[in-house]
Order: sequence, then C-alpha cells, then structure tokens
Amino acid sequence: MAAITLQGVTKRYGQVTAVQALDLAIREGEFMVLLGPSGCGKTTTLNMIAGLEDISAGTLLFDTKDVTRLPPHQREVAMVFQSYALYPNKTVAENIAFPLKLRRVPQAEIDRALAEVAEQLELTPLLGRRPHQLSGGQRQRVALGRAIVRHPSVFLMDEPLSNLDATLRLSMRSLIKRLHHSLKATFVYVTHDQAEALTLADRIAVMQGGVIQQLDTPEGIYERPANTFVASFLGSPQINLLRQGLPRPAWVPAGQPVIIGLRPEDVAHPREGLTTLGGRVELVSPLGSETQLELALPEATLTLRVPKDWRVREGEALEIGIDPARLHVFDAATERRLAP
Amino acid sequence: MARRLMLALFSALFVLYVAGPVLWLLSSSLQMESEITAVPPNWLPPHPGLHNFTAIFTAGDSAEYANRGIAGFLPSGAANLLPSLYNSLKVGLWVAALNLVFSLTAAYAIAVIDFKGRRATLYTVLATRVIPDIALVVPLFLVIRNLGLINSIGALVVTYLAITVPFTIFILISYFEGIPRDLYRACRIDGCGHWGALRHVYLPLSLPALVAALMFAFLTSWNEFLFALVLTQNVAAQTLPIIIAGFVMDFTTSFSFVNAAGVIAILPPVLLAILFQRYIVSGLTAGAVKG
Repeated sequence: MAAITLQGVTKRYGQVTAVQALDLAIREGEFMVLLGPSGCGKTTTLNMIAGLEDISAGTLLFDTKDVTRLPPHQREVAMVFQSYALYPNKTVAENIAFPLKLRRVPQAEIDRALAEVAEQLELTPLLGRRPHQLSGGQRQRVALGRAIVRHPSVFLMDEPLSNLDATLRLSMRSLIKRLHHSLKATFVYVTHDQAEALTLADRIAVMQGGVIQQLDTPEGIYERPANTFVASFLGSPQINLLRQGLPRPAWVPAGQPVIIGLRPEDVAHPREGLTTLGGRVELVSPLGSETQLELALPEATLTLRVPKDWRVREGEALEIGIDPARLHVFDAATERRLAP
Repeated sequence: MARRLMLALFSALFVLYVAGPVLWLLSSSLQMESEITAVPPNWLPPHPGLHNFTAIFTAGDSAEYANRGIAGFLPSGAANLLPSLYNSLKVGLWVAALNLVFSLTAAYAIAVIDFKGRRATLYTVLATRVIPDIALVVPLFLVIRNLGLINSIGALVVTYLAITVPFTIFILISYFEGIPRDLYRACRIDGCGHWGALRHVYLPLSLPALVAALMFAFLTSWNEFLFALVLTQNVAAQTLPIIIAGFVMDFTTSFSFVNAAGVIAILPPVLLAILFQRYIVSGLTAGAVKG
C-alpha cells in the first residue's frame, strides 16, 4: 500500500498549462476519484502519477519516496485504460501473466496467480482466446486482471467503464468496488461520470482548468459544493442556479448580490416551516419512480424532481415548499459558496 | 455491362504491359540465339531447352567453353556470373538485416520517445534523400576510398544503407504512429523499459511493415547499379547488375545469355516475395483497443 502526495505538480505543453500547481494528498488505501469535464487535466494528472507524462514542476511522493523522475516501470503502479489496451497478439492468459513474466516470477507461481485472478474475474473459460474474440466487458475484465495479478500498491484507472454499455457499466462498477475492498490498495480513478464518482469514491477531487475546485467526500461535494461549477457538475438534472426568483435565506446580508441554488429534488408539498413558491407546470417527464418537471415561476423556470404520486399535469398551477436550509448560496461575483 | 467490359479490357492491357517484358525474358531465355532474333519473333520457344543456363553455369569449365559455338557467343564475363550472384546475395542480406536494426531503433525513438529536436531529427534524415544519387557518387567514392573499402562488399553495404535507412525510418514511423499509444503505455506500466516496449509491442504489431522494409532494402540493394559500378572493380565485390550489364558491353551481344542471366537475377527477389507474402497482412492490431 502507498499514500500518494502531489506537491505543486504542474504540467505544461509549450505555452499551455494543463495542470497547475496541484496539491493533493491521497491516503493509503483510499479510493480517490478525479472528476471533471474533458480537458480539465484529470487524465494528465493520472498519467503523471503513472510516470507516462513528465512532471514539469513539483514533486510526487509515494509514501515518503520521491518518484517524480522515476520511469513508469519502476513505480510499481498498475493501470487500466479506457481503451483496454490489451496486447492483440497475446492470449488472455498471456496478457494477464505478462507483468509477472517481465518480473521473472517462477512459472509455477505465475500459473497459480493466473488461476486465482481468472477465477476471481470469471475469465477461466476465456484464457485461451485472443482479445479480438472477446466482448467489451470481457476485455475490460482481462485488463483488470492484468492490473491486479501483481498486487500493486497503487491502482490507476482512466475512465475504465466509458466504453461499456449502461448495464455492463453498473456491474463493472460494483466489481471495481469489491476489488477495492478485497485488495485494500490505493485507487486513483479518473472519470467524467458523476454517478461513477459518487458511488465509488472515498473522496472526490473535482477538477476544472487544471485546478482542483473541491476535494471532499461524495456527500460533502454534493451537499456543500464549493462553487457554482462543482454545484452544477454534480447532480442530474442540474442544480437550479438563479440570481433572482428563489427566496434568500435570512442569514444572507441584504443587498449582497448572490446566486441561489436549489437541487431539483429538494422540494416538498407546502407545509409549516417551508417557504412556499407557486408557478405553472410547463413540462412533465415521467421517469418511472419519479417525475421530472419544469415549473415556471414569475421570474424564472425551475427543473424539479418529485415523487410520482404528486400526479402533476402540464398546464396546471402548482405550489411547492422549499426548506431555506437546503438552499445553496454563492457569491454572485466570485461564484464561491457562502455559508452562515 | 460495357463498364465491366472496359474494366476487363484495360486490366488485361495493364497486366500485359507489366508482365509482357518478364514473359519475353522467360521465353527467350529458353531459345537459341537465332530463334530470338528471328523475324517474326517466336513468342514461345520452338525448341525449349536449358542450354543457355547450362552454358552460363559451366562457363568456368574450359571443356564446355569449346561448345560455345552451339549455343551462340558466350560473353567473357559469364564466368563471373555465379560469384557475382553470391556477392549480390551477401550484400542484399547484410543490407536487409542492418537496415532493419538501424531503422527500427531510430523509428522507435522518433515515433515514441518525446525528446527535444525530434521533428528536426526526422527532417534531417529525410533531407539526405532529397539529394540525387548521381550528385553523391564522387563524394561517396572519395569517402569509401579513404576508408580503404573500395572494391569490397562492405563499401556497398554502407552505401546502400545510406539509401534505405532514411526511407525505412519514414515508413516505420508512420506505421508505429498507427499503433495505439495505450498499448505502449500499458507495456510501460506492466514493467517494460523502452527495449521491452519495442520488443513486446512495436515489433510484433508492425510485422507487415518490417517485412516490407526487409524486401525494400533487399530489392534496392539487389537492383542498384550506379554505386556498384563506381565502388567495385572486379569479381571480388561486383554484383549481378554489373556483370549482366557487362554481357552487353562485349563487342557483340548474346541476347540468349543476357536473358538467361536476367532470369537468374529475378529469381531471388521473387522467391523472397513468395516466402514473405503471408506476413504482409493487415488487421494484426484488431481487438487491441476499442475503435
């Protein structure tokens, strides 16, 4: 196991700075997710941890060992790629055993490790096949097998599920979570998918423009977004961010320009203690267990998610109750979170 | 229908255009001198036989030399044909092998490793091929002479490498850049250094390009005439094109022998192509990455 510490890690490509003075301490055995839109620097950061990209400035530590200038094969990390990156000329068995072969592990031990990994990932019947004879999910399991077979202390994953279909993604997600529990290794996982981030992570680092916007637990990120970018990046449908039209909590100084955020699901039927808003239902989209609707207020339109038993219809008037404590308040100029 | 007919017609014309000279070469190598020069020409040998080949291969033998009148005039250089065939093979194989070693490592460095001056290196390598060979003959002759390599196999190998390596580097770079970068990354993570990545990823996946490079180098060296003419002096290092050209420079020309020698000259490249053709298949990277 290893803790990973990035101190002022910077990556420049000519004039472009992809990652800017990044400070990040990943704890031993932690599942850290780097989350952000494409081009935010998350994959570059992962590649620098792997040693696949040179670090322009700053220091990278594994535990207390400085690995900033170490080539990838001396860092003892394992990595899973979005593209699977299986060796097409090798069989499944040869692909998985390859890292051990390179380390000159005795053949008997390779066979034992291979059997164990194949069993764990349900790959035993496929060991003799080549990658082009496998489905996407099977290929990704082989890639996982190649990564776990050598019991690395650091696991790096670059959007490993992005090429899989929705059903497979869910089952692979729980497989990865189980692997993290059983391997007890440090995981660094890059994704742009908030659902993956929220379900897998111990902590999430939300990145944009080569800078970490917020580092917190999934609950913390969702409940207390540090700025409007983080607030709108997580949550589906997106948070409602309005300069006017939503009630200002009492603690917000009068006259200060703010942006008020309301998560679509933070609404209830009007009752005591809630602020009541009235409007007209413009659009209703049933989602099965819930209903998504657009509610036109006098000054703005809100996207809301309500239980299906509300039975709302388009064109009807609707009153909703909002808990002022559930509102998110951001400074209108800096877009940073304000708290009482 | 008319379209298909035209297509067939032009295909046939093209095949005839390409294969015609080769077929005439084959046919005339089996004919007597008088049959070759007959008007109208004999498209097929009237009395096919291997007499021209027999005469060439026994040219060193004085007993057979007396029989030269039967088959036509035997060129004085015929005795050098077999030694020069051997020289050609030696030079070709050395060039093919060394070309691959140098080009492979250079192409890997330029295509894969991100170092300062990478583009400049590539352009410098390619720029050397912009200069026409004829302009290089005299400088190269002086260099080779000062190295004491004149009239040696080594002189030809070194010179031909200067021709083939830049092209091969260029071919391999474009092939390497088509190999998914993630495979290289995966290999590095799995524990490969640069030699490991070359051996486990780029070498097995670029087999078609490597075979093409091998054949290109061999054929270039096999067919080359100008440098061989300037840099060699006698049968110790002279290659097949020089000796065969010498058949024509005698005071008379024996078409039957020239053509028989020509058949011998095209055999090794043809055999090479047949031998390696099954490696020249694409789709080797299928299934490597999602695409």
